[in-house]
Amino acid sequence: MKRAILGLALLVALPASLRAQGYLLRLDGRLQSVAYRGVRLDSIPLSAVDTAANGALYSPDGYAVACAPGGAYCSFYRAGSSVQNAPATVSGDLTMWGLGLPGLSVHANARAGGDLVGGSWPGTEPAFQLLEAYARYQRDWLTAQLGRQVRRGRLGFTGFDGAAVGARAAGLGLSAEGYLGLGLARGSVLPATSNLLNPFDEFQPTQRQLVAGVDGDWRFGYGDVHAEYQREVDRDTHNFVSERVGVTASLHPVRYFRVDGGSEYDLASGTWGSSEIDVTVTPHRRFGASGGIRLYRPFFNLWTIWGAFSPVGFHSYRGSAWVQPVGRLELRGSGEHYQYEETLTSTALVSVADHGWRWALGAGLGLGPQWHTALNYHVESGPGASSRGWDGSVSWTSGTTLTLTADGGYMERPLEFRYEQSNLGWAGLNGDLKVNERLHFNLSGTWYGEDRQRPDASGFDWSQTRIVAGVSWLVGSGADRLSLPPAVRRRDSR
Amino acid sequence: MRRLGLLLALGGLWAVAASAQGTPASSQHFDHWRHRKVFPTCLSCHPGAADPSRSFWPKPEQCESCHDGTVEKKVDWDGTPPARVSNLRFKHDIHVEKFRKKFGADSTQACMSCHSRAGAAWMEVTRTVPERCLDCHGIQVAHHAAPDSACATCHLKLADSKLTEARIATFPKPPSHDSAGFYPGRHHGELAQSAKGAEGKPYAVAPSCATCHARDFCLQCHVDAPEVKAIQALDPDPRSLAIEAKLEAPASHQDPRWQARHGGESRRDKAACSTCHTQQSCLACHRASPAVAVAMYPAGPGRGVGARIQRKPPSTHVGKWADEHARVARSTPNSCSGCHARSECLECHRPNAASADGYHAAGWLARHPAAAYSRQTDCAECHNTAQFCTSCHQSSGLTSVGNLLSGQYHDAQPSFRLGHGQAARQSLESCVSCHAERDCLTCHSAQSGRHFDPHGPGFDAERLKKKNPQMCSACHGSNIP
Repeated sequence: MKRAILGLALLVALPASLRAQGYLLRLDGRLQSVAYRGVRLDSIPLSAVDTAANGALYSPDGYAVACAPGGAYCSFYRAGSSVQNAPATVSGDLTMWGLGLPGLSVHANARAGGDLVGGSWPGTEPAFQLLEAYARYQRDWLTAQLGRQVRRGRLGFTGFDGAAVGARAAGLGLSAEGYLGLGLARGSVLPATSNLLNPFDEFQPTQRQLVAGVDGDWRFGYGDVHAEYQREVDRDTHNFVSERVGVTASLHPVRYFRVDGGSEYDLASGTWGSSEIDVTVTPHRRFGASGGIRLYRPFFNLWTIWGAFSPVGFHSYRGSAWVQPVGRLELRGSGEHYQYEETLTSTALVSVADHGWRWALGAGLGLGPQWHTALNYHVESGPGASSRGWDGSVSWTSGTTLTLTADGGYMERPLEFRYEQSNLGWAGLNGDLKVNERLHFNLSGTWYGEDRQRPDASGFDWSQTRIVAGVSWLVGSGADRLSLPPAVRRRDSR
Repeated sequence: MRRLGLLLALGGLWAVAASAQGTPASSQHFDHWRHRKVFPTCLSCHPGAADPSRSFWPKPEQCESCHDGTVEKKVDWDGTPPARVSNLRFKHDIHVEKFRKKFGADSTQACMSCHSRAGAAWMEVTRTVPERCLDCHGIQVAHHAAPDSACATCHLKLADSKLTEARIATFPKPPSHDSAGFYPGRHHGELAQSAKGAEGKPYAVAPSCATCHARDFCLQCHVDAPEVKAIQALDPDPRSLAIEAKLEAPASHQDPRWQARHGGESRRDKAACSTCHTQQSCLACHRASPAVAVAMYPAGPGRGVGARIQRKPPSTHVGKWADEHARVARSTPNSCSGCHARSECLECHRPNAASADGYHAAGWLARHPAAAYSRQTDCAECHNTAQFCTSCHQSSGLTSVGNLLSGQYHDAQPSFRLGHGQAARQSLESCVSCHAERDCLTCHSAQSGRHFDPHGPGFDAERLKKKNPQMCSACHGSNIP
């Protein structure tokens, strides 16, 4: 926690101590209170297990138990005690420029957090996380970055501590960038050697991997093409951790028509990774549709053994459409059907579906400038898990200052492979107060009520209440940059 | 109500009458034409036109010789010249002398050559006729089409004149200002800097500009005023703001694709952009990448405010853009970073938990099993499965404990573990959110357990062995086939 406080103090003090011509600092604070009932693993001797008429095994007090062949004990879950968590996070995002050298700017993004009631809420460790901290030097044809950086491209979320250098030929629409550094774990700002990424105490590298890659872009009048190559090398064994290439393109040959697509190829395993192509048409501002095909294939680093298990992907067809027939009424629908590739593992003992589908319908209606309502229905049916249900919201806004939203929903979610059919309802209230362009408060509370329909005593529910309070404070040296429309999707616009 | 209206009407009439009483009666000009038979020469009343030591205007006694109240009614001329301000660079005596030498004519002809139209009768006097000036100076074009160097021959710079703002506001617009590319465009700047004097020596700024404009006029648009020599050659004078200049976007900015193209154009010709755009102008949108604004000048004293930019979404951000943006963001992340700070993405795409819930819909926590299992989206792009999924599943009791064979989770199918292969290959990512590698190696190892081969369709053992033999040794030890 001391490191967290020190880090935040540094972040706040930086703008004051450095004479930057301009800076923009955003501070976000968030506190959540969660109360729910936990679970507890229990076991009984095999000799105490009862057998039902259908062959299922139960404990004398009604819990379905699982018994290992040849084992002396059978295990099951009991309802645990009530658990209270209060995760709190504070994050800061800083950009400074005008540091004396034209083209030089500094960016930093850090977060501190912890569970205030002493529990261990997922994601709150370590207490201080440095997401990004780099200096950027940019001239007409050159960009250079040094420090902790996160790249998010076709090949995913890649973080590293190192350098990136890019060059561009503006007249030709060409740009290229190369980077090299010590990598962070996928989807995380922690190194792969962190114990926090090894909850099962399984295979873990002893050194951070070396990550290197090149990106290239070509922008022309009717679209963009982006290609990237990335390799990660284990510094300890000099083996590859991954080696992939990806390409994406976005073409808009005529107005209101766009084609987006991309693909990945895993050079290490010699297999095509996730790929897709989608066509979007928006012939009118009140109507639009898109459709496409997609291949999804999971990717695993080579320092795990998961790739050797030959995970298969699925092919899907998907489409969506939206229309605003009158006024502020919007109707939308989407659907996707997916089919897994052959696994060559069929067995008479267990039959698992090899395809699934999902679809959703929704409507949004604006009632005057202040009220907005939305209602959605979704169905997902596939191997592993399914769900169907609806959700809706009503929001009221005073204009630019206050927005109040009430939302709720209900769903049925049968879980395959286990005894569970649960019905879940929830209701929430959310308030957003924008005091001014710089200061923004948020308070929300959501109640979840679950009814699990299990044939045994383990049908305890997952009901819980969550209360979240947040504040955002923007500190900048130029008022011109404050009156920006929100660029993120808010709760009332889903 | 009627009474009130009547009172207001009477009040209005009284006000009009009172103001009429205060109107000066002596505002009439001297009528030269009516006196054409009285005065044979100009110098009899305007001796100063030829002799600067004498008054330019007649003495009151001269007028009173006739206007004595008996012969003619009295006039109120007291000898004080009219407060007439002009921007002419002119001395009568010098002009009269030069005229005499050039044409051998008398002073009267000299006066009439400027103050009457060609062919006019004696004493048909007008204010100065510019065309007569141009004729004499050998300029063959219309007054306001005169060459740049010619203006200063007759006119003072605006800053040196005593003209009022009201007078400046009535300046006529020369025809050159309507030519293509003059404004918006660079032509006006080229003209301002290309004028040359009689000996071919370039002017710092064309006299034609300085005659009607001063530096403050240019600052209505020009952010780069301190860097433009021609503008700096003009004297500052706030009266020049009487002529209003309105910043207009050039034609290139009307192109629907301008928003996408302007970055390349700005790198190609940053001087063109910095004419109208300040750093603040760029940062209105490019707040995430302030370095792009380095080529622009910061707003400040001596510079124009420049174009005021309002951030607005590009044409692609229509309809269900929030749902659609992922594909475009993947293909051209640099385009996104032009306007969006990475922290904005992280508001929704947090790389770990305990954070904002902006990306997923309300109730997502309850709904995520189905969507995650079938990978509605790629969870691993934002979430580290070990840090995010596993840690939460552990605290919820959704984890393998001890030997896989205990199978306490998949309790609806007692034989699940005997036929789990299909589920595992279809959604291995879901499996590893609860299971560790050792769970699988209990059976799927070449060195121990049941020696079940986990390799399936498409497995290229040779290739993977070349890339990372350590992965093979986890099961095969040193005896990698």
